[in-house]
This record gives sequence, C-alpha cells and structure tokens, in this order.
Amino acid sequence: MELTERELYTVLHGLILGTLFLLAFGGGLAGLWSLRERLLTTEGLQERTPRLLIGTWVMAIVAWLTVITGTFIAYPWYRATPPEGIDRTDPTVLEEFPRYLLLAQEKTAEWHRFGMEWKEHVAWLAPFLATAVAFAVLYYGAQLVRRNEIRRALIVFFVLAFVAAGVAGLFGAFITKAAPVA
Amino acid sequence: MNTLPTETKPNGPVAASFLAAGLASFVIGIGVVLNEASDTIKNAIGVDFNAFLQFDRTFGFGSGVGPLSGKVGIAIIAFALSWVVFHLWLRGKEVNFRSFFIASLVLVGLGFALTFPPIFLLFAPAH
Repeated sequence: MELTERELYTVLHGLILGTLFLLAFGGGLAGLWSLRERLLTTEGLQERTPRLLIGTWVMAIVAWLTVITGTFIAYPWYRATPPEGIDRTDPTVLEEFPRYLLLAQEKTAEWHRFGMEWKEHVAWLAPFLATAVAFAVLYYGAQLVRRNEIRRALIVFFVLAFVAAGVAGLFGAFITKAAPVA
Repeated sequence: MNTLPTETKPNGPVAASFLAAGLASFVIGIGVVLNEASDTIKNAIGVDFNAFLQFDRTFGFGSGVGPLSGKVGIAIIAFALSWVVFHLWLRGKEVNFRSFFIASLVLVGLGFALTFPPIFLLFAPAH
C-alpha cells in the first residue's frame, strides 16, 4: 500500500481541501442564515460571530488553496503533452497523459471537452466570491445582524461560490476516475 | 445588560468587495472567450491572445499551465486592483447596496456563462 507524490497532491487538492471547504460552507451558511435579530440574544450573537468569521475565512482560504494547487500543480500533469512518436489515438500508450487519453476515445472525450474545460475556469470564481463574503463578515462583525440586505447578498455570493467549487469538484472526481493524473 | 448593536458602519467597502469579485469573475470569462476566438482575432487584427495568455512561457508563471495561467493571472490582478480602486472610491460612503449587488451579480452571471463550454465554444473557429 503506497501513494505516489501525485496521488498525495490530488488527495490534498480534492479530498482534504474539498472536505474542509464543505465543512466551512455548511458552518458559514448556517451562521449567515440564522444571523437574524429576532433569533438572537446578545449572548447568542457574541457566541456566533467568531464562528461565522472562522467559517467564512476558512472557506475563502481553502478556495484559494484549492484552485492554486489544482491549477499550478495538478493541471500541468493533466495537460502534459506526449513526446513525438507516441500515437495520440492509441489509449494504451497515453496513460501518463490524461488529457490525451480522454481525447483518444470518443466515449471519454467529452470529459475533457466539456468537463475539464468548464472545471478549470469556473473553479476560479469561488475564491473571488468567498473572499468578498469573508471580508464583509470581518468588516461588519456583529453589526451584520442589523444589515439584512447585506446578509442576504452574502448568502447569495456564498452559495454561488459553493456552486462554482461544486461543479469543479464534481467534474474533478469524474475526470480523475476516467483518467487519473497519478 | 448588553444589547444588539444599533449603529453600523457604512456599506461602501462591502459594495466595493462585491463589485471587485464580480469584475474578476467577468475577467475570467472574457479571458476564456478571447482565447477561444484567438485565431479569428489574429486573422482580423493580428493580435494573438492565445500567445499573450501563456504567462507560463512569458513570465514563468505556472510552468505547463498554458493559457490558463494568463486568464487567472489577469483575473487575480483585476480582483486586487479593482478592489483597491473601488474601496478608495466607496470607503466611508453609504451607497445604494442593491444597485451594486445587482451589478456584481450580472458580472458574476456573465463569468459563469462565459466559462460554460457550450457558450464559449460559440466563439471558437469552426473546424
């Protein structure tokens, strides 16, 4: 039983950071949703605000780490070009070149043409949106309870960040199954 | 006994961060479209966006990442710079947040749309 260096990076990128992202999203969303005046006492607000701050900042930081490791570590392995002389239509010799392995077969080509092409771009929306949310929570802190319009906007951005990361994560899992980089 | 806060800070800085996130999302989408339409644009006006976006070759930013390095590099710069500019513009101000939020949502929506393959492939040359 062993893991290669590439497998370790993909586990870090997809599984560890992905799990942290999910946890932070769940906590952050619950915190934002329930940050309403009629639901909270002063003590409740004081107890929740640091947790909300941690949830939103963890999500933003993890979103950045995930797209950075994905783009600058795993993606070059994925799009590695086979050397001259290797038949790019023969899947049996393309195991180390995932992009070309997917494109070599009609039944898997769409994982690249649609899945990877969408994933590699849409994922980058998540850190921008999550950072804006985390900043707003840091800026307002407990005062956010008086800013319902902003709180609702934060929920929308927070969910959109999750959707962007979710699309990327889902396709990442499918693509890794069809053509692992390891 | 403590009470819930009654005074709140002006909303300008939050509007600035939302707008910057929207702009960065849109910039990613524009980068994707320019890369897809690169051959057409090159034939029309001589500008090769595919080559321009390869920051890995030009600046050593992300070895082997290809045009994606330029798309994300420019989007990150756009996010940081626009946030600073919008923040300086809106700090200390109470703005109509709804308008800024809608503008940000439109930009984010365009970012989502332009990174969706069936849409950005409309800009790719037909083979």
